[in-house]
Amino acid sequence: MTSPAANLSAVRVPKWAFAVSVLGLIVTYLVLQENGLALGASSGLLHEFFHDGRHALGVPCH
Amino acid sequence: MTTYKSLALRGVAAGGIAGVASALVQLLVTEIPIRAALAVEEARAPAGEEAGHSHGGEELVSRGAQVVGGMLGVVIVGIAVGLVFATAYALSKRWFTGSTPFSRSFAFGAAVFGAVALLPWLKYPANPPAVGDPETVNYRTALYLGVVAAGLVIVWAASWLAERLHAQSQPVRVTAVLLAVAAAVAVVLLAFPAPPDTIPADMPVNVLWQFRLSSLAQLATLYVGIGVVFGLLIDPATRKAKVAVA
Repeated sequence: MTSPAANLSAVRVPKWAFAVSVLGLIVTYLVLQENGLALGASSGLLHEFFHDGRHALGVPCH
Repeated sequence: MTTYKSLALRGVAAGGIAGVASALVQLLVTEIPIRAALAVEEARAPAGEEAGHSHGGEELVSRGAQVVGGMLGVVIVGIAVGLVFATAYALSKRWFTGSTPFSRSFAFGAAVFGAVALLPWLKYPANPPAVGDPETVNYRTALYLGVVAAGLVIVWAASWLAERLHAQSQPVRVTAVLLAVAAAVAVVLLAFPAPPDTIPADMPVNVLWQFRLSSLAQLATLYVGIGVVFGLLIDPATRKAKVAVA
């Protein structure tokens, strides 16, 4: 019925895919980990706004 | 036939859907112990004064906004992780190559959950507000990311080992890989230092554990959810079934 292996090898991953993945990781970092390293003073606001999500996803928080 | 772009879009969709599901778990389940923990924090500070961190009194963001922002954050993280998940899926050449796309995606999601959520949760269990010394947050973050990285290395090494043992029978191969993963997990749990925080005496144990288990349920919803939804979206069998129904 299915031919996953054949399907899979047909996927060609372009170079910009890595840029996209790095962007995904940066967004994750900003939401979950940013404590002032990248954004300085405005990180406090970001931290407080996403506060409950940080705790809930088990990330170390204050 | 399948392009990276189509996989990436499905990764974003899967991440968004799993993120919304996880955010709902947060609203309905995790917020209950968070509220209890915030009450502990409030009780600590003298009225109108907050030590260092603002949850009440002079706050940067209101409690209502924190609840909404927290849920929004989970959805954003879901989308971002879904994108990375789809890329890793597209790159994986040896991850259960004999299985259907749905099974591969589900197993991959479960493995990612184990590596980036369950393993750090076992070593450094999630803590509600009112636990945690702001002085040690960078140290704790470094430890946490170290365990996440170790978990991902274990997943990658397990797939490498499974491929190396392809000449063995399946029971032997599965047992060998499980033993190797168990040994690696034990080494990680023993090698990383103990959590630096002490749990304050005024934090009720049931609130603490209700929060930790809620957090784990929410993480499982997010990561296993991404694997399941992504699998549903990419497996040609899903579309065939739909056509058959119509």
